[in-house]
Amino acid sequence: MDWQAIWLTVRLAAVVSAILLVISLPLAHWLTFSRRRWTFLIESLVSLPLVLPPTVLGFYLLMSMGARSPIGRAWESWTGHSLAFTFEGLVVASILYSMPFAVQPIAAAFAQVDPALREASATLGASGVRTFLRITLPLSIEGVIAGVVLSFAHTVGEFGVVLMVGGNLPGITRTVSIAIYDQVQALQYREATLTAFVMLVFAFVVLAAVYGLRRRPWSATPLA
Amino acid sequence: MTLSIDIRKRLSSQFALDVAFTAVPGVTNLFGASGSGKTTVLRCLAGLLRPDAGHVSIGDRLLFDSTASVDIPVQQRNVGYVFQQLALFPHLSIEQNIAYALHRRPRDEQRQRVNDIAGSFHIQHLLDRMPGQVSGGERQRAALARALVSDPSLLLLDEPLSALDHAIQARIMEDLRAWNEAHRIPVLYVTHSHREVFGLGERVVVLERGRVLATGSPHEVLDHPSHVVLANLAGFENVFDATVTDRHEQAGTMQCRLDDSNTDLEVPLTDASVGAAVRLAIRAGDILIANQEPRGLSARNVLHGRLADLTRQGPTVVAKVDAGVRLMVHLTPRGAESLGLRRGNHVWLIIKTYSCRIVVGGS
Amino acid sequence: METLTTRGRLGAALVIGLAVASARPALNAQSPARALSVAAASDLQTTLPGLVARFERSAGVKVAVSFASSGALFAQIQNGAPFDVFFSADIDYPKRLIASGHAESGSLYEYATGRIVLWTRQNSGVDVTRGLTVLRDSRVRRIAIANPQTAPYGRAAVAALRHDKLYDAVQGKLVLGENISQAAQLVDSGNADAGIIAMSLALGPAMRARGRFKEIPASAHPPIEQGVVITSASRAKGTARQLLDYLKRPEAIELLQHSGFASPAVPAR
Repeated sequence: MDWQAIWLTVRLAAVVSAILLVISLPLAHWLTFSRRRWTFLIESLVSLPLVLPPTVLGFYLLMSMGARSPIGRAWESWTGHSLAFTFEGLVVASILYSMPFAVQPIAAAFAQVDPALREASATLGASGVRTFLRITLPLSIEGVIAGVVLSFAHTVGEFGVVLMVGGNLPGITRTVSIAIYDQVQALQYREATLTAFVMLVFAFVVLAAVYGLRRRPWSATPLA
Repeated sequence: MTLSIDIRKRLSSQFALDVAFTAVPGVTNLFGASGSGKTTVLRCLAGLLRPDAGHVSIGDRLLFDSTASVDIPVQQRNVGYVFQQLALFPHLSIEQNIAYALHRRPRDEQRQRVNDIAGSFHIQHLLDRMPGQVSGGERQRAALARALVSDPSLLLLDEPLSALDHAIQARIMEDLRAWNEAHRIPVLYVTHSHREVFGLGERVVVLERGRVLATGSPHEVLDHPSHVVLANLAGFENVFDATVTDRHEQAGTMQCRLDDSNTDLEVPLTDASVGAAVRLAIRAGDILIANQEPRGLSARNVLHGRLADLTRQGPTVVAKVDAGVRLMVHLTPRGAESLGLRRGNHVWLIIKTYSCRIVVGGS
Repeated sequence: METLTTRGRLGAALVIGLAVASARPALNAQSPARALSVAAASDLQTTLPGLVARFERSAGVKVAVSFASSGALFAQIQNGAPFDVFFSADIDYPKRLIASGHAESGSLYEYATGRIVLWTRQNSGVDVTRGLTVLRDSRVRRIAIANPQTAPYGRAAVAALRHDKLYDAVQGKLVLGENISQAAQLVDSGNADAGIIAMSLALGPAMRARGRFKEIPASAHPPIEQGVVITSASRAKGTARQLLDYLKRPEAIELLQHSGFASPAVPAR
């Protein structure tokens, strides 16, 4: 049982979802409420990872973050080590790869907040920030939670991108999905099944905890 | 402090707003059919919509002036707005809703003001409830309290009472009027129901397709509609084209022949000459109906016809009568019963001279 | 915010807690100098761990191995992957790395020659003793090989089929695995009736008991030259050289042969 890989994966997914939450709130807010005509271009950019095959995306990310790239070189001179083939590199790659899974549900949740409520807030003297914190965000919290959960789950399940950008270094970039793949490649089916099962249970527990905290689970009848 | 507005705004290739009027402290009705631009005016006043040109001020406080490039943002206008759907924040309690605009003030001042306004509108006992847990009328009061708690200089109400029953409406308006007595600000009340206008406003501004059609007291504007559109809006169900056939200067009346018929009506005198085309408007409620030819009446207009249709609409019975022209008559259910009216019956319609109003213009 | 309920606070704490608990892992899971990072082609999955374990014991060095396809490893090393040694299934990649300056020219060593076999499951009813011609049988509906475009073992399989003039007849029955290991899985799981796979995999503990195989003569296909090389970026070149030297020892060569590889024809080219 590769506990190292499991713990690494959990850490990766947690860091990525936390950072994505911080990035996605303003981005989704802008995409939903901006009146500029070209928001659709940014939407398409954000959603690109949904349609690109992971290995293709991984390859291009490797090219942009690796030792030969300007970004990779700048990072190296700044910190003393490379960006690709490190945990930080996985974080960066996963943020890009899981972004649509955070931004889309959050933007959809913002969009279904009644515009009259936001206008009423403005007429009552609230600034844009206050309206966001007191009205928009609380009324769309379920979508925000969905975005966090989805980006967490998506990062846990990543394979192609993580393999290309991470290099499958044990203890550093060998996530659990790669570990399972390795075990299957080595025809160690029993070990693979066991590791996969542990991940399944863990993922289920996390999802159940998060969905259980929601105010209104998937039911048509509102809470009394 | 008087509201003064003079704005123009093009909303589409077919619709442009061009209105100018003033509103003194007290309730002013903004009256017009759906799509006439009433909500647009409110949104421009609140700062939610930017006019193309013009000027808006309350007293000497300038809110918008296109020539001086002044456009005070919504948040700073201090204009109270009660939306059509009320827009109470569903996740905050009534108390939190009302206190929303007061967040910068010290806690005890907030509490004081909230209690005061809740008292004025009789909802102190509901402060802890959520908007979803109170009745329609109570929500309405909460929305009013929320808009007024910070002492705005103008209050805008967008058709707020249309869903409520008459008695509740009246009580809420009483409370609002009482509050208005103590706080002299203009209140703009938007409605498309002429009944509300009579009950609730001291002055009325009539909008039609983005323009001000008339201003004045409800009685001036609606009881004596100067315009066909007003007549329609004001609930005159019978409007006819006619030609003047005779003038009786001494009696103060004139005779008109309704177009495409042999029906003559005696109407109040105007300066229209013989042969001129006029339009007549008669309220369905102003026509009497009889099942026998009446005798000994003062009324000058008695028309004979047949009852074409009789239906019950709520508290009223609506009769359609063919008397040379098709007329609509309102009567009470008991009245209809006591006359034993059936379709096809011969009936007589009695119309007082003064029930016929001459209107002009429109199409 | 008073709008966040206790549940909301708990939820936020959950996410933030997990994130905060994620301290950056130590940069080096292994200490320098007495440790090696090795990249290896996936066909070595069953063989290299054993070899490496013996080396670790004899040299007192800790070795971490990362398996992937030779092509992917090649791209990664060119982009700065921190491997010290690269075991490729195809000697072409190490040669190209030397040409691009990413590997030490003097270090290239052909450590093994790959062998292919015809493999089938125990109870499949396919008589592999007849050799490749059995693939013509109508009972053999699907034949697994590695993708010839990307895997040297796949190219060898196709070459062997052409050599025996079977390729056209069985081409329609071929199922391609992304690499030789995946090809083996295809047969092993029953999704293919037979497969041409690496001998090293067939002899591995997982598959040996489950199937039967027949060697395909080396003359039927071009040699599968497997090369190993030391990367230019390596910070443990001395230790890396120790590993390469170990490969030349009789015990290492014996282990490789035992595992289904032919011994290298010549030490270096």
